[in-house]
Amino acid sequence: MGKPKIPGIFKGLGITLGILGKTIKDGANTVQYPHEKETPPTRARGVIALHEGNCTACMLCVRSCPDWCIYIEGHKQLAPPRRAGGNPRKVNHLDRFDIDYALCMYCGICVEVCPFDALFWSPEYEYSEPKIADLLHDKSKLGEWMETVPEAPELEAGAQKK
Amino acid sequence: MTATSDHQQAAYVAGQAADARVHVELQTGDMTLNIGPQHPATHGTLRIAAQLDGEMVIRADPIMGYMHRGYEKLVEVRTYTQVTSLVNRIDWMGSFANEVPFILAAEQIMEVEAPPRAQWIRTILFELSRIANVSLFLGDMGVQLGALTPVFFAFRDREHVLNQIEAITGGRFHPNFDRIGGLKDDIPKGWIQETKNCMVKMRQFCDEMEDLLVGNAVFQKRCRGVGVIPADVALGYGMSGANLRASGVDWDIRRDVPSPLVYNEVDWKVWTHPDGDSFARYWVRLQETREATHIVDQLLDGIPSGPIMAKVPRIIKVPEGEAYITTENPLGEMGYYVVSKGDLGPFRVKIRTPSFNNISIVPWVMRGVFVPDVITILGSLYFILGDIDR
Repeated sequence: MGKPKIPGIFKGLGITLGILGKTIKDGANTVQYPHEKETPPTRARGVIALHEGNCTACMLCVRSCPDWCIYIEGHKQLAPPRRAGGNPRKVNHLDRFDIDYALCMYCGICVEVCPFDALFWSPEYEYSEPKIADLLHDKSKLGEWMETVPEAPELEAGAQKK
Repeated sequence: MTATSDHQQAAYVAGQAADARVHVELQTGDMTLNIGPQHPATHGTLRIAAQLDGEMVIRADPIMGYMHRGYEKLVEVRTYTQVTSLVNRIDWMGSFANEVPFILAAEQIMEVEAPPRAQWIRTILFELSRIANVSLFLGDMGVQLGALTPVFFAFRDREHVLNQIEAITGGRFHPNFDRIGGLKDDIPKGWIQETKNCMVKMRQFCDEMEDLLVGNAVFQKRCRGVGVIPADVALGYGMSGANLRASGVDWDIRRDVPSPLVYNEVDWKVWTHPDGDSFARYWVRLQETREATHIVDQLLDGIPSGPIMAKVPRIIKVPEGEAYITTENPLGEMGYYVVSKGDLGPFRVKIRTPSFNNISIVPWVMRGVFVPDVITILGSLYFILGDIDR
């Protein structure tokens, strides 16, 4: 029993001291958050951005949300005809598009089901609020996130384009 | 005469009563010690009601259900696409592994098969979530026994794996990446090389853990011979995963049960240990983590090209039928029994989680152990509370 006792402990101490030396030389693995920031990957699911012009208030995202955190209201209105002399068109106008980030569980199903490419993921993550009610992002705030949406990353070799 | 005898009798009775009282007060009865529900040594809200005789545990009962979230009922009112985002939360350390058996069961009912590229990436992510899950245990076990350093190393190196999972799926903890008929997305450029670098780091981490803990005499003294579970008892209680293999049973669903996952394409080994004590459970998990990095390395080299998604309708309706699929999750055997009546969502889902069976052995294994060993045994059984209560 006496034989393995000393080497085992010294081996462990050696590892700890080695890591200590490496940390002194190369710096710590941690990041001091408000001063330095890590960039999340482009696919990171940070916040959902809304391209308002594409939304037709079809309610697909509302119905597919597992915890029902999207609220849409819209009405039909008449738009000027495409050609001169034609009948006025009926279009869906979006009155309200709210996502309650206090409820959202970031599954991404709404972005996936959207048939008109109105919803996008942005890796932005700094939108915490002191009041929980402020986490309800409305149409204009969701539209502002559109600027932060990155291009989809290139795919690895062997991937088939859709 | 009679008066004296009456007096004597009264004194005798009073003396008896006093004696009885003294005996009652001095009786060294059992003490009930509640470990948990909120306790740093339990990974969540598990309560162990232990009856102690001095320092010895006579009986210990795990009391579960403090975190019951009713998933089996919840998924009955969700569609198939929504279920994956829910079952992610069962074992939150290795989330992706929870989705796979459910999706495989649904695919079996639909008679859809995912293309080979999807199956390979699925298997890679399955093993990555195993590494993310078990590497935390490797450090956490040290904390249970009073060694603080390993857990910091575990958190440091687990981060690399989580970064890789985030880079491909978009979610660190809850990927929600598996779909019926394939995967949500393909691999981004450069991911394969980064994952290979990450696996090198994880192998270094395993070596560090081996030198820090496995070779340590204090660790060995506290783990060897503590909480011995023989093979027949482990099988009788329905244990699975590394806990079962540490008892010497050579059973791994990845190898022994045919499944669409591509484990038969790679060269790997199932590790067992004959002892069945806490040390064996740690050792088996350590070797499994190292083996998982080799599996990932081999799979990364051979990803076939092709589509990522089979042809499935946009609105998924699973036809009438039922299927039971088990996979070897990081914690053990996980199974989904899915019954479909042809609706948008499942009619009934029974979820068999490994931790629930693994923790059921606590009353058996904790008879006659000392109080400090309770923590060792609980730590080495390695359960996740979301996996017990679901």
